[in-house]
Order: sequence, then C-alpha cells, then structure tokens
Amino acid sequence: MSENAKPDRPRSSGNEARRELLRERAREMARSAQADETTGDHLEVVEFLLAHERYGVESRYVREVYPLKELTPLPGTPPFVLGIVNVRGQILSIVDLKKFFDLPHKGLADLDRIIILHDEHMEFGILADSLLGVRRIPAEGIRSSFPTLEGIRGEFLLGVTPDRTIVLDGAKLLYHEDIVVKEKEGS
Amino acid sequence: MGKSDAEFLKALLATFKVEAREHVRGISAGLIELEGAVEPERRAAVVEVVFREAHSLKGAARAVNLTVIEGLCQSLESVFAAMKRGELDPSRPVLDRLHRAVDGAERLIEEESPKQPESRALASELGRELGRLLAEAVVPAREAIAAPAQVPDRAESARAEAPAAVEPAPRPAKAEAAAPEGKAAPDETVRIPVSRLEHLLLQTEELLTAKLAVAQRAVELHDVTGELSRWKQERSRAQNAARSIKGSRERGGTSGEQERQDIFEFLEWNDAFAASLESRLHALSQAIDRDERTVSRMVDNLLQGTKQALMLPFATLTEIFPKFVRDLSREQGKDIRLRVVGAATEIDRRILQEIKDPLIHLMRNCVDHGIETPEERKRAGKPAQGTITLNISERDRSKVEVLVSDDGAGIDVARVRKSAAKLGILAADASMSDQEVLPLVFESGVSTSPFITDLSGRGLGLAIVQEKTAKLGGSVRIESAPAKGTTFRLLLPLALATSRGLLVRAAGQSFVVPTNGVERVGAAREDEVQTVENRETVLVGGQAVSLVALEAALELEPKRTEAKPPERFPLVLLGTAERRIAFRVDEILGEQEVLVRGLGPQLERVRNVSGAAVLGTGKVVPVLDVSDLMRSAIRAAAAPRREVPEEPAAAERRSILVVEDSITSRTLLKSILETAGYRVRTATDGFEGFVAVREERFDLVVSDVDMPRMNGFELTAKIRADRKLADVPVVLVTALESREDRERGIDVGANAYIVKSSFDQSNLLGVIKRLL
Repeated sequence: MSENAKPDRPRSSGNEARRELLRERAREMARSAQADETTGDHLEVVEFLLAHERYGVESRYVREVYPLKELTPLPGTPPFVLGIVNVRGQILSIVDLKKFFDLPHKGLADLDRIIILHDEHMEFGILADSLLGVRRIPAEGIRSSFPTLEGIRGEFLLGVTPDRTIVLDGAKLLYHEDIVVKEKEGS
Repeated sequence: MGKSDAEFLKALLATFKVEAREHVRGISAGLIELEGAVEPERRAAVVEVVFREAHSLKGAARAVNLTVIEGLCQSLESVFAAMKRGELDPSRPVLDRLHRAVDGAERLIEEESPKQPESRALASELGRELGRLLAEAVVPAREAIAAPAQVPDRAESARAEAPAAVEPAPRPAKAEAAAPEGKAAPDETVRIPVSRLEHLLLQTEELLTAKLAVAQRAVELHDVTGELSRWKQERSRAQNAARSIKGSRERGGTSGEQERQDIFEFLEWNDAFAASLESRLHALSQAIDRDERTVSRMVDNLLQGTKQALMLPFATLTEIFPKFVRDLSREQGKDIRLRVVGAATEIDRRILQEIKDPLIHLMRNCVDHGIETPEERKRAGKPAQGTITLNISERDRSKVEVLVSDDGAGIDVARVRKSAAKLGILAADASMSDQEVLPLVFESGVSTSPFITDLSGRGLGLAIVQEKTAKLGGSVRIESAPAKGTTFRLLLPLALATSRGLLVRAAGQSFVVPTNGVERVGAAREDEVQTVENRETVLVGGQAVSLVALEAALELEPKRTEAKPPERFPLVLLGTAERRIAFRVDEILGEQEVLVRGLGPQLERVRNVSGAAVLGTGKVVPVLDVSDLMRSAIRAAAAPRREVPEEPAAAERRSILVVEDSITSRTLLKSILETAGYRVRTATDGFEGFVAVREERFDLVVSDVDMPRMNGFELTAKIRADRKLADVPVVLVTALESREDRERGIDVGANAYIVKSSFDQSNLLGVIKRLL
C-alpha cells in the first residue's frame, strides 16, 4: 500500500504536477511490489521525508499521522522540542528530528505532518515534511552501517535500505534519555 | 479453572484488599484511641468498634478463602471479646502486642499469595501470641473470683513465655515508619454515596435536552443554507436576463420585455426573501442564545456535582496518622499523642493526595524536632506526654485551613539564623527580628537540626512542603513560641478541578498565569520605573517591588515593536506576602476558567511551565508555574540587561506578506525576514493572502504555490489584475521545480521563483533586496 504525500487536499497546480504525482505513485507501487516479492523477515515501516531525505520508522511504534496546523512553542525547552499541539483534546509534544540529530538545515517544508510515536509509557510526535506511505521492507536488506551517512548518531539507526531509506530505531527514540525533557527541580 | 474464573477470583481478591485495608485501619485507629481513652463508656464503645472490625475482616477473608487471615482474625476477635467482657485490661503492653498482630495481618493482606509457608508461619506465630495474651488475661480475671490455686502452672508458664514473645520480633522499624507515605494503594478506589451518584446521573440526563436542542439548531441552519442556494439560482436567472438585455441592446434590438419582467420579479422576490431570511436568522440567533445559557448552566452544575463527588473527608487520610505518630515517637523514646480535629471536613481528592506527604513531613518534624523527650518535658514542668494537634476547618467556603501544632520546645531561632548565615541567605549580623527570621526555615538547606538523621535534618523538607502547597494554590505559614510549641498553618483551596487563569501576552505569545498566584494586576508609566542597585523597581500600592519583563524571565527574545513603546505598560504582581515581583507584560487579555493539562510524557518537567490549557478557540496556551517564575525572575534581574538593537523608524521598514500553508515554513520565513529587519505579516493560504493585500499596503509578497482554497499562481494573477496592486513584486517559493511550473509562474506575473528543496536564506534575501 502506498499513500502519496498529499492525498487529501484539492490541488490545482497544473497538469505537470498531477503527472509528476502519478509518476511518483507508480514508482512507489513498483517499489512496494518489489519488496513484497522477496521472502524472509519483513519490517513494516512508515516512510516520510525529512530535510529531503527518506526516513522510515517501524509502524508498530506509530499511533497515527496527523496534519500539523497549529503549534504552541514552549519557552525553556531544548531547540529540538518544536512545541505542543492539541490532538483531539490531548496535549502532545512535537520533536524536530532535524534539530535533535543536528541535520543540516536545507530547504523549506511544503506540508507538515506529525507522526505520533507511542508505546505503553511514552508518546510524542515527530515532525515530517511529508508522508510517503507504509511499506514492507525485507529485514535482511537493511544495512546497519552506511559510510556516507552523516549527522545521525548511529545508536538511533536500525539501518539503511538498498534504496537509501534511513530506518530509525523506534524503541531507542522513544526511550533515549536525551529525548525526555526533565528540568531539575528548582534549578 | 477457566480463565474467566481466575479473573473473577483476581477481581474478588482486589476488592477484598480494599475492604481489608479499611478494617485494618479501623482496628489500628481504635487501638490508638484506647491508649488515650480514660472514660469507661468511651473505652467500651471503642472496644465494640474494634471487635466488629475484626469480625468483619474475618468474614471478608473467609469469603475469598484466605484461611490464614481468617484464623488470625478469629484470634483477634477472641482477644477483643475478652476485653469486652472486662477480662482483659487494654494496658500499653497489651496494646503493643495487639498492634503487632494487626501489622502482621496487614502484611498478610498485602501479600500477593498469602498461602506461602512463610505467611502461614507468621500467621501461626501471631495466633499463638494472641493465644498467650488471652490466657494471661483470663487468668487474673478468674483469680479475682475463684481460688488462686486452680490454674497456677498455666498462668506461670504463660507469664514466663510472654516477655520472650514481646521482646524479639524486631519490626523493620524504618520500613514501617516509611510505609504511610511510600505505599500508595495500588488499586485506588473511592467511596461515593449513592445519593451523589444519582444526582450526577440526573444532571447528565439533563444534557440530553442540550443534545436535542443542538440537533434542532443544526436542522434549522441547514434549512437556511438551502434557502440561500435557492436564492443563488434565482439571482443567476436574473443575471442571465440582464445579460441578454445588454446583448440585445448592443445588437441594436429593443426586445427583452420578458427579461425585464423577470428582473423586476426577482427584485421584488429578493426583498421578501431578505426579510424572511432576516427574521429566520433573528429567531435562530435568539434560540442559540437561549441554548447557550441553558447549556452553560447545565455544564456548570455538572462540573460542580462531579467536583463534589470527588470530595473526600480528611478522615480518609488522617486515619493512618495516629499510628504513624505513635510508631515514630516510640522509636525515638518519646511519648506523643496525635489529636485530630475536624477530620470530617471535605476537600478535593487530588488535593488530599498531594497534601499527604507534606502533612506527614510536618508531623515528622513535630516528633523529631518539636516535642522533647519525657524527661526534658518533666523538667520544663510539662506533662510527660506531648501532643500534636491536627486541626482542620473550612474557611470562607472555598478554602480549608490545616493547623499542625505541637506543644514542644518551639523553634530555636538562633539556630535558624546560624544555618541561614552559613548558606549566605542571611548576613550573620543582620538586624532581622525573630518573626522575620522564622520563615527562613522554608528555604532549601536551612535546618535547625545539629545532626542529620534518616528522617529529617537536611533542611529540604520544609522547602518541599512550601513548594507543594504553593503548587496546589495554597500557602503555608509558621508560628513558634519558645517552650510553648510550633504551629504550621496551611491554607488550601477546597477544589482543584478547574482553576482561573489570567491570559497575558509577552514576546508575541500568549500565556496563562494561574490566578491564585496573582496578587494584583495594574499598569505603570515608564517614568515610574526606578533603578535600585542596578535593578528595576516600580511602585505597586505604595510599595517598591522588583520589576522584571515576563519575556526576560522566560528567556524569550523581545518582540520588535511597531512604534515607540507605549507610555503605560501593564504589569502582573505575583507572589506571596514575603516575596513579590511585578512582571511586565505586553498585554493583559483577561481572566477566564482554564483546564490545566499535562505536557505529555516526553516533557516531564519544563522550567517555568506547569502545563497547558486549551482555550475556547482550541488554541493551546502554556500555563506558567508561579514559583518557578519567581526564581527565574530573580535570575533574570541579576543578569546584565540585553541591549535591544536600535530599530529603524517604522516608516523606513519595508513590509512583506508571507503566504504559506506549512506552519514550519511560515514560521521560518517570518523569522528570517524579521531578523533581516522587515515588518512581516503572514497568511495561511492564497485566499487569506489576497484579503490581506487588499487591506494593507505591502512592499512585497512571498508566496508558496501549492495551497488549499487559492494557490500561489492564482494569487499572483489576482494581484496583477488589481490596478492598485499590480506593481507589488511577488516571489513564489515552491516545491514544484519543473520548467512548465516556472514558466507558468512567469506567465501569471511572478517576479522571482525560488525552489523549496534548494532554499537558503541568503538567496531569498538577495532576491528580495533586488526587487525592493
């Protein structure tokens, strides 16, 4: 299954844009089919764009994807905390992985999505420039190191797929002590 | 056993634990009261209570097949029965042993599987001890009646054994002392009177009428919308008629009588339609006003009712205290009794939970530092037994006052001075009165204890008590008199559920300040600000108070202002009687009810922010933490003042409209352009952007292409088509990078075209500079 980056809004930017969209969809489908053909263990990942790179995180850590419309910045938080949002009455914090990983600031986002990561005890959203879809990738195809990859600390990485999707380690992200903001009492 | 059976049993056991805890607490409380009770009637009444509690506990244990506990309760019941008959005197040693048995029962109740061999051993040991107690008891009573020779050896052996049984069994004293605060009930339940729940149900049912009313209004609104689309049809028919008349005129014809007729008919119908629409809308708006009043009354009542359902008497908390004080004072060789007054006073359950630790800490303080040893007390001419009093009473219908007082030696003010001087809080020779020095015990690190024990003496406890009370919106004060004792006076709000907050703006952002931390709001003129020792102060109510900009305390960049700062600025005075700070804000937007929520698990603690509130508009606003803010303000005032860069006069600043639907890109573009010195307004799509350019003159427009409602191409075309706007430069910033798109951008009249994926700010600024 493949969801395109901008499925839910009426677009009116010309035929070329639509053609490009269709081409992208076709590429996505071809890739998904390819991946599914191989046998062996698979990971289901939610793929998204961040600073014009493809990232993935295992879908079992993803609660939902939500469009980012309003954002309330919080004073006194580290730069990687973008702020808080109201998701149907629930307050959630949003982490900017670009800042957390010290990725170079390149380009401008076109559409903001938040991918809500969660498990039993932790929950927060990460900002994505756009959502590419959900894809099954063979576990064995993930390389655990990639020499030209810069920026991201290796500990948050599950690996890199042959088509250069960077697969993040959801559990590490959720539970790394650097992610949780815990100001010392009275400091 | 099937899975459902196992689950059923698990549920039964959970229920049993809750019930059993209550019985155990009842017995403990009764035993403690027996120690102090002197009047025979009162004694008899208390014995009756503990007897019944033991009996009920036995029944409950039998129901879930916990024979070990059942057996132990049987023994307890027998002992209490003997007491009832007057065969056993509730002397201190007897009560000590009973306490131990009850502690044992409590341990068995809390165990996961009370069928372990160790549990059985414990239970039978405690059972034997109770048996011995009973044997001892019955004999002296009989001795009084019958001949002493009848059962001498049995009595002898019991007496010989008894001390051995009393002495050892060293209780894990520390663990026990800590138990009341550490062991939170794992599956908390609340008892709510059925009458209250029924009342709540009634109120909830009333909400159904609100639901029906809203549905009705929705239908009515749909009807009106339907009418409007009929109007559109009629209007377009009239328009067609007008066009055809115009067309025929141009061709020199004179026909069109029918069309003219149509237009007149439309105009007449239109008048009638407008009148009918007006009256319908008027009725609808009146109905909605009525609904609004009804719903808000219902919601307020329901909220009030639910709050009341969550109110619990202090007794649910204080019933564990007498035992706690008793155990702690025994450990320290002191003789102290706890008197609880007003335990029936009700308060919000959550406040009760939060105030538990501070109260335990205060009582521990009384035991540890307040009340002297029996010898010291005798020397001072006081009764050997010290008293701690917990006096709870309602104040002003919205507050509860809790007094924790002891009749001990009072606080050694000289030691407080010394400790505070050591920490540098107070100059060693400061000329402060005792009354002024006393509150320093609430400062972190100040202690009167010459040595540190496990329990207290590190000087942290009272600081935490104060912080916790302040978080609840309460306050704490201390009074102490040498040789007479010390009193801590806690003032707590009755309810917590919703609080009121002051909505303020600083550095262009909104914040909520909890109203209970606000002493007053006001305004001051620039020329009233005076610098004292390099810090700004302002007069509030005739008193000089430090003045700190809220944005500085929050470490936010000051917002560039349009014109000169206004002559008068609003301020919010926060704090307590001892320490007050005036915060300068951009604007005070008003006070309203707010529901404070947590920030989510990832933000465990953020300085200066205690939570978030969702306003009626759905907007999320940070709620500030007043005690944090006071600390931050002191730090901010001490830091060197940042020079605000010199602004070019407003007239010289160029203005730019940024039209972009992505919030992150919009924020980024705005901040880049503002940093470069431009005045920036934003719009979230082309439609909003077009409204903005027609309202206000901009020197340049930066617009995204791909947007809902109206895209960047359409916006550019509309700007070019408008005579007044035609020469405003437009820069398109877009994710589309094909040649066709670029050409289309130029076709519609854009002056520059920047691709998002290769965006960088110097490029944007360069392009803008060229165009302006």
